[in-house]
Amino acid sequence: MQVRGLVDSAVNEVGNILLGKEPQIRLALCCLFARGHLLLEDLPGMGKTTLSHALAAVLGLSWKRVQFTSDLLPADILGVSVFDASDASFTFHPGPIFTQLLLADEINRTTPRTQSALLEAMAEGQVTVEGETRQLPQPFFVIATQNPVHQSGTYPLPESQLDRFLMRLELGYPHPQAERQMFERRHSGAMEIQNPRQCIDMGQLEMIRVAVSKVHASENLIDYLQRLVAYTRQSPEFEVGLSPRGALALLDCAKTWAAMNNRGHVVPEDIQAVLPAVAAHRLVPSGDYAGDGDALVDLLRRDVDVVGR
Amino acid sequence: MNVLQQVPRNALMWIIISLFALVAPHIGRLPIWVLAVYVIAVVWRLQVHRGRWSFPGRWVKVAMTTSGFVGIYASYGTLVGLEPTVALLLTAFALKFIELSQRKDAYVLLFLGYFICITEFLFSQDLLITLYSVINVLLVTTALVALHQPGLDQFNRGTMRLAGVMLLQAVPLMVVLFFVFPRFGPLWTVPIKSHAAKTGMSDFMKPGDVASLSQSDEVAFRVKFDGEIPEKSALYWRGLVFSRLEQDVWSGLGYYDVPLEEQRPDEVAISGQPLRYSVIMESTQQNWLYGLRYARARSPGVMHSSDFRMMSPAPLESEYLYRVESWTDVPVDLDLSDWRRKTETKLPPQGNNRTRELALELRESAGSDEAFVEQVLEKFNSEDYVYTLQPGRLTGSNPIDDFLFQARRGFCEHYASAFVFMMRAADVPARVVAGYQGGEINPLNKTVIVHQFDAHAWAEVWLENRGWVRVDPTSAVSPLRIEMGLEEAMASEGSFLAAAPLSPLRYRSIPLLNQLRLRYDALTYRWQSWVVGFDSEQQFDLLHTLFGEISTRVFATLLLGSWALVLVPVAISLFFKRDTYPVSPLDKYYRLFCDRMAELGLIRGPGETPGHFAQRAVEALPGFADELRRITGLYNDLAYAGVKDKDELAQFTRAVSRFRPDRRRGLLEEDTTL
Repeated sequence: MQVRGLVDSAVNEVGNILLGKEPQIRLALCCLFARGHLLLEDLPGMGKTTLSHALAAVLGLSWKRVQFTSDLLPADILGVSVFDASDASFTFHPGPIFTQLLLADEINRTTPRTQSALLEAMAEGQVTVEGETRQLPQPFFVIATQNPVHQSGTYPLPESQLDRFLMRLELGYPHPQAERQMFERRHSGAMEIQNPRQCIDMGQLEMIRVAVSKVHASENLIDYLQRLVAYTRQSPEFEVGLSPRGALALLDCAKTWAAMNNRGHVVPEDIQAVLPAVAAHRLVPSGDYAGDGDALVDLLRRDVDVVGR
Repeated sequence: MNVLQQVPRNALMWIIISLFALVAPHIGRLPIWVLAVYVIAVVWRLQVHRGRWSFPGRWVKVAMTTSGFVGIYASYGTLVGLEPTVALLLTAFALKFIELSQRKDAYVLLFLGYFICITEFLFSQDLLITLYSVINVLLVTTALVALHQPGLDQFNRGTMRLAGVMLLQAVPLMVVLFFVFPRFGPLWTVPIKSHAAKTGMSDFMKPGDVASLSQSDEVAFRVKFDGEIPEKSALYWRGLVFSRLEQDVWSGLGYYDVPLEEQRPDEVAISGQPLRYSVIMESTQQNWLYGLRYARARSPGVMHSSDFRMMSPAPLESEYLYRVESWTDVPVDLDLSDWRRKTETKLPPQGNNRTRELALELRESAGSDEAFVEQVLEKFNSEDYVYTLQPGRLTGSNPIDDFLFQARRGFCEHYASAFVFMMRAADVPARVVAGYQGGEINPLNKTVIVHQFDAHAWAEVWLENRGWVRVDPTSAVSPLRIEMGLEEAMASEGSFLAAAPLSPLRYRSIPLLNQLRLRYDALTYRWQSWVVGFDSEQQFDLLHTLFGEISTRVFATLLLGSWALVLVPVAISLFFKRDTYPVSPLDKYYRLFCDRMAELGLIRGPGETPGHFAQRAVEALPGFADELRRITGLYNDLAYAGVKDKDELAQFTRAVSRFRPDRRRGLLEEDTTL
C-alpha cells in the first residue's frame, strides 16, 4: 500500500474530530514519522489535547497524559520505587512516561527541573531512576503543549530545550466554516470525541520509515538547504541562526514530507512546507528586527534563492 | 546593542596592537605616565570586553580628560609646541580607546591612528623610522579591515594579509602622488620642538665644548662631491666664526653687532674651477650650515654673512639638503675695514698678562705678521704641548696663561683660543673658527660622512695681501689629527668614543660590521637625497624633464593613469573570476528560462520554487502551459529526482533554448486579452 494512502486515511480520521486543521494534522504526522517530538503551542481550548489523543488513536499507540503543574516533580513523571512489605523489597512503579505517546500538557507550567527530566527522556529514549537505567517503550513520542509564553505563571522553555522538539505547531482558531460545523454537531447532540479508528499499525509505521530512509536528496536540494542555513547565520535579522541539528531536522522532515506524498526525492516545496514548523521556534530575531520567528521564516522562504547560480 | 555595530574581537586585538605600535617610537619623548595611561586604557577596555568592568561614566571621562591636560602641562610646563601637543594627542588617543564601543568609535580612533603615524615624521625622517611607519600603516589598515569582518571572533592573522594586499595595490598611486602632488610651503608654523636638544656646535665656545662634542658618534652631515673628494686634511668644514672673547668665552657676532654697511659680505674675486658638492645636514635646531672656504650656496634660501659663513634663515628641524660651490684658494677680505680690524683684534682689557707679554715679545723678534704666526706654531710644535681629549679643567682667572705655561695639555679649542689670543695681543687680526675637520669616506657611494667627533676649532689670521688665512694650531701639536682623524690621534690615549662603548664606529676593525654600517649609511644617504630632499624645485625639474610643460591635464592624466594601473588588472581579474564559480548548465538554463519569463512580466521571486512558479505562469499564460510544464518537469527531474541522464539534460537545454515566447507575440496577446 502506498504511503500516501495510509497518510490520507489517518489525516481524514483525525480531521473528523479536529475540523479544518488538515495542514497541522499532516505536519504532526510528519513529525511523528520522522521520530521527532512535537510541541503544540496555543491558547487553551484550541484542541491541542484533542489532536494528540486522536493521533495516538490512529497510530494505535498506548497513550498517557500528564498535566504539568507548578508543583509536579520529576518522580511524578518517571516513576518511583516503593517498599513492598510483602516480599520486603523495593518495587519500581513506573511513571506515566512509560508509554508510547505521552501528552505533556502545559509543559511550561512546571518548573525547569521537571521540564528537564522529561526533556532528557525525550533525547535519550530512556530514563534513569535510582541509578537504574530503564528503556522506554518503542516508539516513544512526546507531544507537549504549551501556552503562549507571555501568559502569567509560566516557565518558558529555553532555546536549548526548544531545539529538542522537531516541530512546533500552532493550531489557531478554526476556519469559520469548520467552527460552524462544530457548533452544529454539538447542537445536534452527535458524539463529541469518539475514539478514532486505528489506521496505521506498527508494521505500516515501520514501512513508512523505510520509505523515508530511501528518499533521495539531490545535490541541488542540499545546496538550497545550505543556502537557507547560511542565510540564517549571516543575515542581520537573525540573532541566532539554525544549528546543524536544526538543519538536519529540516532535512529529515522534508524527506518524510516527500515520502508522505509518495515521492522518492525531495523537492524545494517539501522544505518550504515543513520550514515554518521546523525552523520558527529555533530562530531568534535580532534586537533590531521587529518580527518574530514566523516572520523570519517568511523571510527565508521569500529571499533565499531556490535555484543556484 | 546591534550586533552589526559591535567591534569584533579580532578588530579589537588589532586595534590594541596598532595602539602600542603607534606609541612606541614616541616613547623616548613622552613622560612615563603617558605609557601608564596606555596600559590602563588597554586593561580597562579588555575588562569591558570580558564583561568584568563597565565603560567609564561621563564624570570619569571628564576627570580623565582634565587630568590628561593637567599632566601634560605639568610635564612640559606648556601646552604649546610640538612635543606637548603630540603628547596630548597620544594621551587622548589612549583615552579614546577606553570608550571604544561602537564601530564609529573605531573609525575615529583608527583615522586618528593614521594621523599619529604621521606625527612621528615631525621628529625624524630616518629611513628606519619610515620603514617602521609603513608597518604602522599596515597595522592600522589591518584593524580597519578587521572591523569589516564581523564573523571573526578569534584573533586572525589572515586579516593582515588582506590589508597588505590592499596596501600593495595602493603603492603605484602612492609613488605617483609622491612625485606629482604639489608640495605646498607650510601653511602655518608651530613653535616647533621647544624642548628638543640642540645638537652639534653652539654659537659660543668655552674650553671643553668641542672635546665633549667629540664623544658623540652621531652623524653631523654627509657630503657628496660632484668630482673627486679632496684630501682629508683639506676638509675644513667651516661653520661658525667667533670674533668676540668675553669672560673666557668665545662667541660669534650677533646680527645687530655688525654695522649696517658691513652686513653684506664683500665681493670675492673668484677664479678657477670651484669644488661642487651637496651637503645633507642632520637636524640641529640651529641655523648654521657648513662648507669649505670660500663657499657660495647654489641652493636658494641660504644666507651668507660678512664673515663668509652660510646660514639657513630657519633652524634646521629636519634633514636639510643644500648645494655649495667652493673656491678654496681665492683670497677673501683683502681690504679690512676699520671696524672689522678693531673687532678682530679686541681683547678683554685685562687678564692673561703673561700671554700678552709673550705675544708682544715674539712679534718683536719675528719682524712680520707671517713670521710671528710661524713662531707661535713653532712654539706649539717644539715644546712639550700635548693634544688630548682629557685636558683637565682650567679654573683660574687666567686660563690661557695656565694653559700655555703650566698645564700644556689641551684639545683643539685650547690651542685655537690661545693662538688667537696671542695674535690679537700683538694686534694681528685673528679669530676662532669652529666646524668639523675631515670625515669618513664611505667607499660604497663616495660620500664623506662627518660625525660629531670630527668637531674641530681652528684659527683665521688676516695677513696683508693675503686676506684671511686659515691657521690650525692643532696641526702643529698633533699632525695626526688632521691627516688621519681623531681616532688615530687618540689611539695611544684610548679615549676615542670612550663614553660610547657600543658605537658601531668603535668596531670598524671588524670587516663585516663595518661593511654593514657603511652600507646602511649609503642607504641613508640615498634616502635623504632622493626622498627627504625631494622638494618643490626638484619636483618641478623632474616633471619638467619628463613631461615638458606641467598642466592640469598632465597632472590629471598621471593621477588617473596610476589608478588605472592598479584598477584595470583588478577589474580584469574580477571579470574572469566570475567563471571560477562554475554554474551548472542546469541552473544556467533555468535562469535563462526565468529571464525570458521576466521579459513577459512574470518574475520569479528568489524563494519561489520552480513548481510554484510554473503554476503561477500557467495561470497567467495558459497558451504556454505545455512548454512550461515540460521545462519545469525536466528541471525538477534533473535537479531533484537524481536523474543524471545526459539526454534529458540535452532535452532540457534544447527546450529552454527554443522557448522564445517573445517571438510569438500574437499568441501572447491572445492570452492576455483572454
